Amino acid sequence: MRETVKLISMEGFEFVIDREAAMVSQTIRSMLTSPGGFSESKEGVVTFPDISTTILEKICQYFYWSLQYSRGKETEFHIEPELTLELMMAANYLHT
Amino acid sequence: SLSFKMERKTIDLDQGWDYMQTGITKLKRILEGLPEPQFDSEQYMMLYTTIYNMCTQKPPHDYSQQLYDKYREAFEEYIHSTVLPALREKHDEYMLRELVKRWSNHKVMVRWLSRFFYYLDRYFIARRSLPPLNEVGLTCFRDLVYNELHSKVKDAVIALVDKEREGEQIDRALLKNVLDIYVEIGMGQMERYEEDFESFMLLDSASYYSRKASSWIQEDSCPDYMLKSEECLKKERERVAHYLHSSSEPKLVEKVQHELLVVYANQLLEKEHSGCRALLRDDKVDDLSRMYRLYHKIVKGLEPVANIFKQHVTAEGNALVQQAEDTATNHAANTASVQEQVLIRKVIELHDKYMVYVVECFQNHTLFHKALKEAFEIFCNKTVAGSSSAELLATFCDNILKKGGSEKLSDEAIEDTLEKVVKLLAYISDKDLFAEFYRKKLARRLLFDRSANDDHERSILTKLKQQCGGQFTSKMEGMVTDLTLARENQNSFEEYLGNNPAANPGIDLTVTVLTTGFWPSYKSFDINLPAEMVKCVEVFKGFYETKTKHRKLTWIYSLGTCHLNGKFDTKPIELVVSTYQAAVLLLFNTTDKLSYTDILTQLNLSHEDLVRLLHSLSCARYKILLKEPSTKTVSQSDSFEFNSKFTDRMRRIKIPLPPVDERKKVVEDVDKDRRYAIDAAIVRIMKSRKVLGHQQLVSECVEQLSRMFKPDIKAIKKRMEDLITRDYLERDKENPNMFRYLA
Repeated sequence: MRETVKLISMEGFEFVIDREAAMVSQTIRSMLTSPGGFSESKEGVVTFPDISTTILEKICQYFYWSLQYSRGKETEFHIEPELTLELMMAANYLHT
Repeated sequence: SLSFKMERKTIDLDQGWDYMQTGITKLKRILEGLPEPQFDSEQYMMLYTTIYNMCTQKPPHDYSQQLYDKYREAFEEYIHSTVLPALREKHDEYMLRELVKRWSNHKVMVRWLSRFFYYLDRYFIARRSLPPLNEVGLTCFRDLVYNELHSKVKDAVIALVDKEREGEQIDRALLKNVLDIYVEIGMGQMERYEEDFESFMLLDSASYYSRKASSWIQEDSCPDYMLKSEECLKKERERVAHYLHSSSEPKLVEKVQHELLVVYANQLLEKEHSGCRALLRDDKVDDLSRMYRLYHKIVKGLEPVANIFKQHVTAEGNALVQQAEDTATNHAANTASVQEQVLIRKVIELHDKYMVYVVECFQNHTLFHKALKEAFEIFCNKTVAGSSSAELLATFCDNILKKGGSEKLSDEAIEDTLEKVVKLLAYISDKDLFAEFYRKKLARRLLFDRSANDDHERSILTKLKQQCGGQFTSKMEGMVTDLTLARENQNSFEEYLGNNPAANPGIDLTVTVLTTGFWPSYKSFDINLPAEMVKCVEVFKGFYETKTKHRKLTWIYSLGTCHLNGKFDTKPIELVVSTYQAAVLLLFNTTDKLSYTDILTQLNLSHEDLVRLLHSLSCARYKILLKEPSTKTVSQSDSFEFNSKFTDRMRRIKIPLPPVDERKKVVEDVDKDRRYAIDAAIVRIMKSRKVLGHQQLVSECVEQLSRMFKPDIKAIKKRMEDLITRDYLERDKENPNMFRYLA
């Protein structure tokens, strides 16, 4: 099993993050834990044609922040106001 | 970056569904085992996203409802086109395998599709209160496949179960998988399993074992039948463990037990040569243990077994009693009494033997303790050759406790026997009769120094106290204490004599002072004592008055012992005799020859007593007196002379008096005490109840007195009448069956 997943934004930006972080998203978690498994080359590569790079970046940051928070490091997660709506919709999509 | 919403193009329902259909088709190909690569993450996300988009589009392009319906239709289509046909063309075991495969596939399909369609589960179903996706998927299978096939499947499964019962190998894992479907399809409830499978399986099992039982009960012995039953139950439990649902175990076991053990209980237990009775007779401990194990779990199953046990023990006990009775009628008195003692030993052995059965075969179950108790209560109260069991038991104790009785036995063995004797007492209803006999014999042991071991005497009293309460043993304990005090008293007496040379009895005198209440009652005649003895009595009286003026001394000469020096021609011999015998002999110090009448007049004894005395001195082993005529018995016309020619190789001889039969007196005394006890019980009951019906009064009376004896109903009625004449009770005027307490 690979330890990282690759998330690709609509502009083609590739974010390689830890598997554990990605699984903060229930949607990604469901996918990664599906029966049957995936072939090595294609495993854990997901393209999000509807998510911009900025948002996807923020989301990845959120994943890591969430992990740390659950481990006791209770800091604030800052969201730039102009990103709020898109971030919320992306979060809904990703079930985060 | 640009807004998320603006980037998205609206997906048309048909368009979107076409895309989903490709995913569904791919999934079906994978399930069918066709060459089809697995989903990759991109494909997965695309399918998820398609649904997501179609559900989050603005109306009228929000297709949640339609997608929900199409989700269900996807299953329905697949089931109708592929699954059902595949199942319908197969039968029996093949069908079962196909079903297991199809169910497994279906679950996989539900898992995948519900993930793709997951967004519907998040908001849509809650908003419309609809069943979630997982449930929709499973319900499809239930409604279309399960409902059509469950009956056929159930038949196939039961056929395999019966095959296995007949000894054939079957695929247990397959059955487990099939039955798991019944459980899972219930979606949290066991109803489907219970109604569509279990109930039929139980019926079939019952009928299977009913057939087997009906032939086995004819062919097999009881032990063999039980072995088979035990084996069947074991196998059925294994069956449950391997492939039935655990909740079936108690139900299945109950059915099997019923057919094998309940239906034929009577025939099995009563089998003539191998049934319960025969097993008891032949000491088949293992088989009886098995019988217990099998019937223990059945409601009221043990009752007939306990009953047969009780009957068996009773029969054995009765046989022992009969044996003793027969021996007694056929043999001389001596052997008879030995036989009676043997009887007690045998009864103890019988008790030991069957107590082991109760503890080991029957696992200490109360029913069997009760059966043993009731059995013993039946035969332990039978009379043997005129002796009640109470008397036999008291005599048995006397034999153990007296000198020369059981010196061969170790202390431990004696303790053990005493323990067992006391236990037997529990079964005897006339405990007060035992107490009285015991007391009489204890008195003799104590007064004539015939007790073998003080510790044993105390030990049995302790045991009796534990079993029957303090009141039972208080008098006996008093007797033992009296003896200790008597010794001290004797020391004081000797000191007194030392200080008062004027008060000299002239002979060595030992007096034992007894507390009247503790000791059995003794008759004492006003025998005319010889002068020497009269002096002794007065001297002691003088001494005793220095100690206390408030007590009256009554002399029981019949219990005294005298040591006389017989000055015979050949050599002097010391004679150890009773006081009465001494009184007779001393008459011959002044006169050589005396007639019966002379002696009678001089001593003032009854004929009965005198005949006994003279017989012991002239017709028994030691002829101290010569009787004329020298017949074997004493008659009132005889005359007696001192036998100066008497001699013996010993220097001291004991001339025993044959013991008076105390039985009659004991029974009389006990009857008297019982009358008082019944009176007291009636008054006690009426005082607290004030008014009571006849039947109730009688039954309460019986219950209160049962600890000591079984009161005769007639006796109770008689006492009641007596109490009425003495104004303790009265009959109610209107209802003569009601009694009222008179304060």
